[in-house]
Amino acid sequence: MCFSIHTLFHRGRLYHRLLLTATVLSCFAALPARAQERPAGAVLDLGIRAQKTVGLYTENGITAQFAHTKLVNQRLYIGVTYVTSRLGTALNSNAIKQDNYLASVLYLFRPNWLVRPLVRLNAGYFRADYGSDLFRDLPQTSLLASPEIGVCVCPRFPLKLNASVGYNLLTGDGVNGPGTLYPVFVQTSLTWNVLHKSTR
Amino acid sequence: MKSFFTLLLVALLGLSCSKEPAITDDMLDSGKLFDPSLYKPEQYLISKAIPNPTPEQAARPVIIACHGYSATTFEWDEFRTYLAGRSDVYLSQVLLGGHGRSYADFKQATWRDWQAAITTEYEALVKAGYTNVSLLMSSTSGPLLLELIASNYFSGRTAPRNLLLVDPIIVPSAKSLSLVGVLGPVLGYIDTDQPAVEDRVYYHFRPQETLQQLETLLNIVRKDLEKGIMLPTGTLLKVYKSKQDPVADPVSAVLIYEGVKNAAGQATDVQLINSKLHVYTRLRLRSDVTMADQQNQTATFADIVNRALR
Repeated sequence: MCFSIHTLFHRGRLYHRLLLTATVLSCFAALPARAQERPAGAVLDLGIRAQKTVGLYTENGITAQFAHTKLVNQRLYIGVTYVTSRLGTALNSNAIKQDNYLASVLYLFRPNWLVRPLVRLNAGYFRADYGSDLFRDLPQTSLLASPEIGVCVCPRFPLKLNASVGYNLLTGDGVNGPGTLYPVFVQTSLTWNVLHKSTR
Repeated sequence: MKSFFTLLLVALLGLSCSKEPAITDDMLDSGKLFDPSLYKPEQYLISKAIPNPTPEQAARPVIIACHGYSATTFEWDEFRTYLAGRSDVYLSQVLLGGHGRSYADFKQATWRDWQAAITTEYEALVKAGYTNVSLLMSSTSGPLLLELIASNYFSGRTAPRNLLLVDPIIVPSAKSLSLVGVLGPVLGYIDTDQPAVEDRVYYHFRPQETLQQLETLLNIVRKDLEKGIMLPTGTLLKVYKSKQDPVADPVSAVLIYEGVKNAAGQATDVQLINSKLHVYTRLRLRSDVTMADQQNQTATFADIVNRALR
């Protein structure tokens, strides 16, 4: 049994997402370098996060992250995120309502580039709501731990677009852990630095 | 740099070229062992055993029992033994399409092929005049049946009386199945660690093509459940689900409970079973069967028969 590289990727459902992501990033990279100049003080990015678990639900929510010149020269961000299927697949459907509460540490590479590689470590808490008391004996909560890698598109104005792929280290396995906690997810977040002050 | 990419390409090609599985003659996969229902269908299928029923026979409840992914009719043999000597209910054991044959046959079959065996027997029974048919589905047969309901297969047909799902799978316990679209072609097949005695009645090797079919089916049915599935008028559904199941995540029962309503809008009957076994009604060939497992099996068999006879 032998498959070509093309077949290998073409059969994967991630193929189209990867292609789309690569295309979008290429477009950004082709722009003249108008990277965000690092503000002198603190940065507080507030925004929305859309997350899709591979093979399961879309979950959406809010995110915030904070950086300071005294914190690894604004390369390191600490943040909090809440995403839920209530604002995604479970909205007006029978999908399970579940909530993810995350605290994260993000590190940005190449701080002067328009498109900056990033790594993020998340830790948090997961809770699923099975609705009926019938299922009270099934696992419904879990700790969350996930690394992410991706890119941040940081143009000159205080907008940031983050896109990354993450991997949940803790998942359900039919015996332990909630059954709707899946391993791989992709996320996009759009944030605005609310502490930004125009200098011109 | 160019040589680096050449090396990378060769490495990826090497990874993507999987060996053929090491199948032995003692495995169902070999093509030398077949499910017995293929040799003697009249011993397994009521449509073959009694193709022209009397009015009394035609009114008798028939339970179509169907097994899960990679299994065979063996999965319901103990139920046949349980029913031995009873004349008030018939059992028709259906072999899923593509199953019970060789590895190559299994590899080529789609989930539609698996499903076709259920509808073939159902239609044969209804055509022969049987009026009281129930469907007993384990594991993957569960979503195969739910897909039939969601696609309105029973619309315009005689509706089944009972749909009885034992450890149905909507969400797999092995979450890596969600990545089979990308990893499957690299792996080629999955080598199971089941006991050698089970190799004669369950496929030992699972071709990635069939895992992709399974993943496709589960996604379709999960989305159908999210939208809502309504049972045909007069049909009742019961789910029996192990609380700890290493194959079909117990949350599958939650999704069915939330997603299926009967024609009157009422919720599905779900019973969670204190068991750590997948398809806990099959105990033969298992090595660590407890008294509680046997009690679970007997109680479920009794409940199934009671429901079919109502």
